[in-house]
Amino acid sequence: MPMHDDIVAILENRPLTGGHCLLSLDAPRQASAVRPGQFAMVRILGRSDVLLRRPMSIFNVMAVSGHRGKSRPGQAPRIMQFLYKAVGRGTRMIAELKKGDKVGLLAPLGHGFFEEEYLPRAREADEILQVAGGIGIAALLLPAKRLAELGFKQRLFFGARTKADLVGTAEFKPLMRATLLATENGSAGYHGYVTRPLEEYLAAHIDKKFLLMACGPGPMLRATVELAKSFRHPCLVSMENRMGCGLGACLGCCIRVESEGHEAYQRVCTEGPVFWAEKIVWK
Amino acid sequence: MIREKSAGKPKVRSAARGAGCTARQARAAASLPVETFTPRIETEIAGVRFQNPVWTASGTFGYAKEFADLIDLNRLGAVCVKGISADPMEGNPEPRIYETASGMLNAIGLQNVGAKRFLSEKLPFLRTLKTRVIVNVFAYSTEDYVRCIEILNEGEGIAAYELNISCPNTRSGGIVYGSDPQLTEEVVAAAKKAARHPLFVKLSPNVADITVFARAAENAGADALTLINTFIGMAIDVETCTPRISNVTAGLSGPAIKPLALRMVYQAARAVKIPVIGIGGIASAEDALEFIIAGARAIQVGTANLYDPGTSLRIVEGILDFCRRKRLHLSDLVGSLKVAVAKA
Repeated sequence: MPMHDDIVAILENRPLTGGHCLLSLDAPRQASAVRPGQFAMVRILGRSDVLLRRPMSIFNVMAVSGHRGKSRPGQAPRIMQFLYKAVGRGTRMIAELKKGDKVGLLAPLGHGFFEEEYLPRAREADEILQVAGGIGIAALLLPAKRLAELGFKQRLFFGARTKADLVGTAEFKPLMRATLLATENGSAGYHGYVTRPLEEYLAAHIDKKFLLMACGPGPMLRATVELAKSFRHPCLVSMENRMGCGLGACLGCCIRVESEGHEAYQRVCTEGPVFWAEKIVWK
Repeated sequence: MIREKSAGKPKVRSAARGAGCTARQARAAASLPVETFTPRIETEIAGVRFQNPVWTASGTFGYAKEFADLIDLNRLGAVCVKGISADPMEGNPEPRIYETASGMLNAIGLQNVGAKRFLSEKLPFLRTLKTRVIVNVFAYSTEDYVRCIEILNEGEGIAAYELNISCPNTRSGGIVYGSDPQLTEEVVAAAKKAARHPLFVKLSPNVADITVFARAAENAGADALTLINTFIGMAIDVETCTPRISNVTAGLSGPAIKPLALRMVYQAARAVKIPVIGIGGIASAEDALEFIIAGARAIQVGTANLYDPGTSLRIVEGILDFCRRKRLHLSDLVGSLKVAVAKA
């Protein structure tokens, strides 16, 4: 389904713990076209000093917002949600926006976790492992929901700096057989990087087949990919990068990937953001 | 010569009929009631007719198809495609872009599919458009500029070439073509000789006196000038003491550079007889009109395409509205700047 570029209204911009926020937009054209793992470009309006849109993972889509009632089955989604952390200039400005304010929304974009590509591998697997680092969790809810619909067994490994950074876990709970949390400061769950308990789990189930889906900061993703490789499990990763247009025109977001037997730069916004792990050439 | 590919002719009832109309004709037009006055905003450059003066700038609009779901490409004056080299180029390592105040730094490294694949993979779609296609050409040696043009000459549906001379000449020790008047003349003359289509030369702003380079390109046979390309800039991450862009220096574009670009377009338009196409931070019809009044016969929208793809078509509408309100045609506006005291 095609992308749409509209000016849309904010329904809610709810602050969560650790400087995170949950942004809900009234965006029927975009929400009804979303596929798991896709992203949006969000534009702050009326600021001539902040030009570029911000790429944001689409966390969730729903027919009616949670606080106003439950959606009926079959109703087309019209609300698009983003889970984000106010870190840079742009996201801090987005965090200041209130209900009723408008933003520019270009979505849905990119090549996400598309089932036609991963289903054969998912069917071979005993379990799907969702591996998230920090705000990377935002890219994994929609694929996890789809996999749950298709009846796959899933397990979440979610690591962050502190307990306050472990946001969005409630939405994953009903979709997972189990959730393993980790924090770098030990304030919740396993004390250390999430890749450590992941490694222990893979080592303890050496006879089983898994499909990994991962999103998070570079070093965490790279460690996850190394684990998947050494235990010989297929792994899909959702990559992040600075973006100019999100449309594949500016080539600002290109990363090094293996393509048709040689290395080349490919666009995170168009060929990605989701790539098979073995394709990525790490710096 | 490629002519009359563009959309249907507007219903012109006024006495003033576009290019070359006199002040008297313009006054005659001004006496007509608003509803009967249809401004002409077509523009002609080097014998090529463009349905309007609003073009998309090279490197900010891909090969146009990327924007096909968002805007009506047929309503653009022209599309300047991503720079093409004789052989494919893979581009620079990341990070390639960084946002600055009212601007953006980029060092993409001219990643492109090469001239042959451009003809087979990109040009067929572009040919389906009513919009003119201008192919931006770059190389690191005069021989490669010529080789690239010779490959592109085989393609059908190209209206003109835009020569990007902001690349270092590897043979002359990395001196940028566009910052040495002699090298500028050399490469423009060679490209003009090879080119089957009109040759527009895109000037670099990273020079002390833009008029020297404008004249050098004109003397060497350029059919028109495009200016400006990006300013060389940089940004540093103080936490890590590393450059924000892998290439260290990068091209600055966006509204931040508009006044500088406007000044250079004004100076260049006064220095040469060939048409000038203005570019640099244009994001609104008013921005575009400033460049036209300063002497540009067409303008290009660059960075704004990235964050607001609707910009170019809004500028077309804005220019039409302005011309209707002022009862002027585009040609009446080009170079119409009134300066109280003539400046050198």
